[in-house]
Amino acid sequence: MRLELHKVKVRDVQWGEKTCVKDGVLYVNKQAAINCVKEEERFAKVDLELARPGESTRIIPIKDAIEPRVKLTGKGGYYPGFSAPMGRCGDGKTFVLDGAAVLTCGPIVAFQEGFVDMSGPGAVYTPFSATQNIIMVVEPIKDLDPHQYELILREGGLKLAVWLAEQCKDAPADVVEVFEKGTVPEESAKYPQLPKVIYVCMNITQGLLHDTYVYAADIRPSLPTLLHPNEVLDGAMVSGNCVSACDKNTTWHHVHNPIVAALYARHGKELNFLGVIPTQESTVMDGKLRASQMNLSIARELGAEGVIVSEEGYGNPDTDLCLNARNFENAGIKSVVVSDEAAGTDGASQSLADATPEMTAFISTGNVNEMLEVPAMDKVIGWPETIAHLSGGAAESLREDGSMFVEMQAIIASTAEIGFNRVGCEWI
Amino acid sequence: MTREIENAAGIPVVQIATIVPIMLTVGANRIVPGVAIPHPTGSPELGKAGDKATRRELLLRAFKAMETEITYQTVFE
Repeated sequence: MRLELHKVKVRDVQWGEKTCVKDGVLYVNKQAAINCVKEEERFAKVDLELARPGESTRIIPIKDAIEPRVKLTGKGGYYPGFSAPMGRCGDGKTFVLDGAAVLTCGPIVAFQEGFVDMSGPGAVYTPFSATQNIIMVVEPIKDLDPHQYELILREGGLKLAVWLAEQCKDAPADVVEVFEKGTVPEESAKYPQLPKVIYVCMNITQGLLHDTYVYAADIRPSLPTLLHPNEVLDGAMVSGNCVSACDKNTTWHHVHNPIVAALYARHGKELNFLGVIPTQESTVMDGKLRASQMNLSIARELGAEGVIVSEEGYGNPDTDLCLNARNFENAGIKSVVVSDEAAGTDGASQSLADATPEMTAFISTGNVNEMLEVPAMDKVIGWPETIAHLSGGAAESLREDGSMFVEMQAIIASTAEIGFNRVGCEWI
Repeated sequence: MTREIENAAGIPVVQIATIVPIMLTVGANRIVPGVAIPHPTGSPELGKAGDKATRRELLLRAFKAMETEITYQTVFE
């Protein structure tokens, strides 16, 4: 498979007569973009806002982030099964508005979305303080079922992101990134001496608005499967998650997965990257045992010698993490796990809900309970009072002057467990 | 809490919980596996009668666990 990412660097976003990208500025025709989203009749109100790095702006509550992309080859569209016809992705040319992001904003579950500050001390913890953001601020029609609300917000965000890229796709790329790799047998024949490494990407798959989609299929009731890394980097995975903000893998994160990128960069040099197993975090014990067993089965069938496992969320998924580490180690496959920690506001509590002696290599992406003081912002997009209900927030978090005292976990992707950020924990 | 009640008051505690490994890790002594994280003590998908049957069976098992002498962490399947 050969994937070309044709990236146009976006350094600013502005409203404009015509939606286009010129000299690094993304111009958006506000009404046309609103109309694109408003085709969905279950939205009572749709508005768009812009937020740029460095501005004194807070966005709350955010559910998902999506990078504007569209296929230049094949059937067009993006995110197969959602905004593109069903079919395999990962091949051909993809147009990317690099540096732009669509953020979906609206109080769905009321407790498992997060916020982003575009400047100040909270900004360093999220990648979306550094992107040029187009924010979809929506309200559903009266009495809309939360599952339907989540669905229209998820699909609306994808649709807007693809629409923006579609309007701009004739712009010449600033850079073209190429990802090329053959099938497992082809690559194994090419690099017989290199250790075979597989990546297990754990996903929140727990129903009740805690879902992840692969090729538009809710993977909660399915078994783990195998993806070529190009498929992950080209929109096969979509977040449908209302989990704690800090460690949800947004749709934006999936196409930027740093573990996939790092393994790819070493492929054919230090290791043979076999592929990605998107796997489940079930709500029943047998489901956890089944998924971790299937992860091992796939890895063994492919001859894996090493595995990297990343978690999504915390709490009961810590058991899935432990089961994965135990299964792989007991089968003689070296495992490294990547996870955040819920170690309490003082960092002194047991940081995972579960533990196992086989989990010998652990990379921490930070303590979700770390407290943070964030000042008032000049502008607030969304509903600032929702901090009272977000994980990491409390009734007293929002003060009269607009400043907040919150846990890290209220910030979108602050402890992303695919290792996107720079936060970690020190050895002591 | 389970351990503290046992330690402080000497009252045997049965923990009904879905994710048994976590219960083992935190040191619960009498463990009855629950159904699922969103509904540990019932089976709503089985309808009213099925749900009641699940709850009754779990409760009877918990009573049995409470009455059973143990010397180490025990899972009552």
